[in-house]
Amino acid sequence: MSGPWVEKYRPQSLDDIVGQEHIINRLKKYVGEESMPNLMFTGPAGVGKTTTALALVKSILGEYWRQNFLELNASDARGIDTVRNDIKNFCRLKPVGAPFRIIFLDEVDNMTKDAQHALRREMEMYTKTASFILSCNYSSKIIDPIQSRCAIFRFAPLKGEEVIERLKYICNEESFDYDEKGIETIVYYAEGDMRKAVNILQATASEGEHITEDSVYDVVSKSKPQDISDMITKALTGDFMGSRKLLHETMVLQGTSGEDMVSQIYQEVSRRVLDGKMDPDFYIDVIEAIANCDFRIREGSNPRIQLEALLTKFL
Amino acid sequence: MLWTDKYRPKNLKEILGNNKEKKIIQDWVNNWKAGNPQQPLLLVGPPGIGKTTFAQAIAKEFSEYIELNASDKRSQDVIKSTIGESSSSRSLFGDDYKLIIMDEVDGIHGTNDRGGVRAIGEIIKTSKHPLILIANDFYSKRLQSIKPKCQVIKMAKIRGPTINKMLKNIAEKEGIEYDKEALKELSKKANGDIRSAINTFQAIADTSHELTMEDVETVTTKDDRSTIIDGVMATLKSKNPRHVKDALRVDEDPTLVMEYIAENVAREYTNKNELKKAYENLSNADLYFGRAQSTRNYGYWKYATDFMGIGVSSSKRETYKKFTPIKGPTVFTLMGRNRGKRNLRDGIAEKMSEKMHISNTVAISMFPYLEIMFQNDELAWEISDFLDLDKDEIKRFRKKVIPKSVIKKMEKQKEEMRIEERDRRAEELQNQMFAGIPQEIEEEPVRDEPELISPEPETEKSAIEEELISPEEESEELMIEEMVEEEVEEKPKEKKNKQASLFDF
Repeated sequence: MSGPWVEKYRPQSLDDIVGQEHIINRLKKYVGEESMPNLMFTGPAGVGKTTTALALVKSILGEYWRQNFLELNASDARGIDTVRNDIKNFCRLKPVGAPFRIIFLDEVDNMTKDAQHALRREMEMYTKTASFILSCNYSSKIIDPIQSRCAIFRFAPLKGEEVIERLKYICNEESFDYDEKGIETIVYYAEGDMRKAVNILQATASEGEHITEDSVYDVVSKSKPQDISDMITKALTGDFMGSRKLLHETMVLQGTSGEDMVSQIYQEVSRRVLDGKMDPDFYIDVIEAIANCDFRIREGSNPRIQLEALLTKFL
Repeated sequence: MLWTDKYRPKNLKEILGNNKEKKIIQDWVNNWKAGNPQQPLLLVGPPGIGKTTFAQAIAKEFSEYIELNASDKRSQDVIKSTIGESSSSRSLFGDDYKLIIMDEVDGIHGTNDRGGVRAIGEIIKTSKHPLILIANDFYSKRLQSIKPKCQVIKMAKIRGPTINKMLKNIAEKEGIEYDKEALKELSKKANGDIRSAINTFQAIADTSHELTMEDVETVTTKDDRSTIIDGVMATLKSKNPRHVKDALRVDEDPTLVMEYIAENVAREYTNKNELKKAYENLSNADLYFGRAQSTRNYGYWKYATDFMGIGVSSSKRETYKKFTPIKGPTVFTLMGRNRGKRNLRDGIAEKMSEKMHISNTVAISMFPYLEIMFQNDELAWEISDFLDLDKDEIKRFRKKVIPKSVIKKMEKQKEEMRIEERDRRAEELQNQMFAGIPQEIEEEPVRDEPELISPEPETEKSAIEEELISPEEESEELMIEEMVEEEVEEKPKEKKNKQASLFDF
């Protein structure tokens, strides 16, 4: 009775966190200390960066964690002004009932370089009163001066059995029936992303009582926009304009990110080659193009242009 | 005096080049003079090639003319009142035709000149006088209904040598010493626009009475007149690297130019392999624009511009023999048209990011799963309650409204849980602080229980928590006094933080 399971089952303490043992063990050493270095958590989505940060904050700051904690996630306007004002105002004050204050900045790789430079200065100025925890998907997108001021923790994708264990725990708590195959199917599609796994689980559970291979597959295919398949078919049959139109609609209307588009295109073509519907040689050429496109988007290119260029490879 | 006026050809004979067009126009004039009404003339072509000059030369052939141009406000009424009357009536004395010239017809503004196009249509229909319309863009929407009713004369850019001849003529009359090569260069750089060539020439040589190569280089690079459309046009139509590079020297954000090229290349290049190659170049251009942005090393722009210009232009084996009108990026219109939907989407993402410690992007990536979850009535209610979604936002995920019976049931459940939770808290409170006097505390909250059905547990909870916290706040205040700076600011801020914290668990 509390909405999305991803939030309901977010581990609240360091001990509850699934996987990432060596990171958790090191972090535990900061609890009870008078200070903490600035930390940077880097890793793919859904591996526990935010969860770890929140749990760490609670165990370090204890009872007064809310008063001494500032969370700025990527959706907050995080231009230079936010960095200068909000962080400055927060850092200027002495910690109350805790050894120091903590600022958590999510998805720092999406901040502009200028804002990152401003942040760097704030990090230097308030070392006595505040510590920063930064999280990002790609540490390469963070300017060097910030990286060198942080202890960097690399979060790995979760292992299959770790995800399985958690999913089973949730099923038991919610008293849902499942079979092993069903859970394994979720894990296969989640690719080490716990958020995705839990979302698939809840979506499947919302449709019926059982978590089975079929019901999971049903949800996974429903959650994929049909447009991607149509888009590729159109490109393959030479209708570039039609294909491009679908690309634009998916990105603009559904707001699908460039990286999601790439991964869905990848899944779609690899399904085709496995089903014997695409020539393996052609497939490999396409994969090269997809990989290239993926890399470029992550490097900061314009996803739409890169994806349009990718579509021409299907012609 | 402007040389463009001073040396403007006074009649058809003085006009250089355009022999074919001159012939058609002369016939048209002669026919009118013979009392033989003709279709209106529509002169179309890029700026500065002599359309207005043509029109004025024609005007000389008639006794009287009326001119309207873009600077006039051309609502239906204005057109009708200034020339509507005179266009449909003729003088009693017979052969006195009035020439009507309407300049920049394609520039009629969609909303400001409401009905303007229709009014022109009417005038064409009813006019008993010769009519000349002038426009820049042959493919303009506003010309669509007008074109079939006119005799269209497409005028091309003026060739370099013709401009050169004209400039030489002026130079001799003005007594200007000129470097032959410089004059040639000036003629070439004008890119078919004779008016700009003459203006530039006058700007350089009016007082100094000489023209050198250096002059041409400094002035013309500053006075760059190409537009985004010219740049795209050159990229798609030309295979000459210099031409393309010059045309892309546009005073616009280069990534916007790239968007234009990407939009239009797929319309122009119909050969698959050429399109592939072109897009490879665009993708590279984009890569370097991205790198320039992220490293703030804008030196990368030059590579990007070469990829999108010379790269795309040389991706075609031969120039296509067709005319594709240049369009603005359709994806921008798509975005504009769907602003409402996007705002709705972002609003939901905002709510999710607040409650769930995730960014908007991650929130949006969860939408497909939410769509599935929302098919379940109870879960739909739970999630919308958790995220505090309104009706429209719920509609984003499910078409049907959540049945009233389900809402009632869920609200009742929630209320029960709330009471349970509150009683538990009350007990805690009692154990902790009021160990001696349990009765009074327990009575208080129980009393307003039946009235409070609205799902607003937070206010209630916070009231209790206030009590719970208040003694600690005192100790906080003690600490605040030790603070280094600005205690005044500190206090409200602390309060605010605490308030917010009560909501987001």
